[in-house]
Amino acid sequence: MAANFLIYGLVNSVVLMLSALGFSLTFGLSGVANFAHGGLYLTSGFIAWMLIHYLGLPAFVSMLLTIVITGIIGALIYRIIIMPVRGIALSEVISTMALGVAMIEFFRYIGFVTYDFTLPPLVAGSVDIVGVSIDYQRLVIVGVGVLLAIILWFFTHHTKAGLALRGMSQDEYTALSLGIESDWAAMLSMGMGAALAAVAAMAILPLGIISINMGYDVLLLALSVTVLGGLESTAGLIVGSLLVGYAMVFTSTYIGPQWGTVVYLAAIVLVLAIKPSGLFGKSKELEERV
Amino acid sequence: MLEVNNLMVFYENALAVNDISLEIKQGEIVGIFGSNSAGKTTILNTMAGLTHHLKTREQRRGGTRITITGDMLFQGENITTMKPRQRVERGIILCRERHPVFRDNTVEENLKLGGYLRKEREVEEGMRFVFDIFPPLTRLKKRKAGMLSGGEKEMVAIGMALIAKPKLLLLDEPLLGLSPHMQQEVVRAAVRIREHGVTILMSEQYARPIMPVVDRAYIIENGTLVMIGTSLEMMENPEVKSAYFGT
Repeated sequence: MAANFLIYGLVNSVVLMLSALGFSLTFGLSGVANFAHGGLYLTSGFIAWMLIHYLGLPAFVSMLLTIVITGIIGALIYRIIIMPVRGIALSEVISTMALGVAMIEFFRYIGFVTYDFTLPPLVAGSVDIVGVSIDYQRLVIVGVGVLLAIILWFFTHHTKAGLALRGMSQDEYTALSLGIESDWAAMLSMGMGAALAAVAAMAILPLGIISINMGYDVLLLALSVTVLGGLESTAGLIVGSLLVGYAMVFTSTYIGPQWGTVVYLAAIVLVLAIKPSGLFGKSKELEERV
Repeated sequence: MLEVNNLMVFYENALAVNDISLEIKQGEIVGIFGSNSAGKTTILNTMAGLTHHLKTREQRRGGTRITITGDMLFQGENITTMKPRQRVERGIILCRERHPVFRDNTVEENLKLGGYLRKEREVEEGMRFVFDIFPPLTRLKKRKAGMLSGGEKEMVAIGMALIAKPKLLLLDEPLLGLSPHMQQEVVRAAVRIREHGVTILMSEQYARPIMPVVDRAYIIENGTLVMIGTSLEMMENPEVKSAYFGT
């Protein structure tokens, strides 16, 4: 039972981290709270499904293409929707929230609501780890989570573009005076955040069906772990994911599965009430931006 | 090298810079002196394109109305409406006031960011030059810039600007808040930077530390140019002495 709790708690935590990574990265690097994150996650799932079923492309190729397409959509969202209201926090939140809801509800409107919408796992089958049966796809999720964390760290610390994004997030006008363009940086971070939402979707959605409400759930989960850990903080994201991830598994196992949702919603409310900047938060608190 | 003609900058109806014309010749160190709110930072920001950037953003979001009139020619080219990046590409580099560094990055990462638009080889050359001019930075390479003293931060800030390969280096109050010893270090560095062919425009409130190395100086009050002269003329002027030399 303990091994089961530990392993599934870890997998659930990585699922949360992956779900929130794009939201956290975009906010951390450009200050844009992208409330269309859930919409992008869901859209990427349906794009991959359409590429596989309408164009007949292999699943892996479809997934890679989806990540690129979603990244481009994210960049375009910045260029078309966010750029005109950049710097007005409330307008950024309202416009991205409206867009996210529109994306999600669009798929409901066109009838993508049946149980037919699934993505194939990258690796089928399961394995026993210390007596706990776990499917390979969940191990893929853990692997993708760890790999992404390493890639993102390398990108932000050892590449010109990554250093520029970090610089822009700290002091826009000094970055501008060195020739870094703020709209380019924000567009890149939005594109990367959207692509990360797609990576999360490609890793997580094969575990079940693509359901419309996932768009809302993913946004709330992302908000929950980033608010708990502290917006802009990578360590906070990891710790927030572990806390919420294990708390959800604990609640579902010992109290009842229906209470799992309450955990992450309660986490948002409690953190904003007690420590609005989160466990590892710095200056930009969510309440300042909403 | 840089010619500014009849520059005026308004923030809404407030006049920040009032009909200023000035010229900076190749190889000079030019000083702009003035008290708080005289308009020094607005002039330098406008030269670097930051005011134009702010104006564009405010226009887009319907915020503060910023008006810029007049024109600026850099090496014969009109740069008045150019973006900051285009100006950096041409060699106009601004080192902003209050020792701006990227606090969460190491000194080395800060310096590398200075060379954002430059080639790898140019960045390496620039780093060598910066460590030569500011030897203390060599041992601080791996330290977070936010942990440095004011003087060390200023060295990093000027270092970043140097790695950006300036033809015209704009230094906005580089001595602000520094100890007299550190002020002398920065002034010495400015002279060495000029010896490497970089033209410098420096703004300051207090003229004493830098006036001896300045070729020409402009005095600004309430956004208006009130006096132009060589450093010798300025140092002999009793009004300037009392207002900007603390005597």
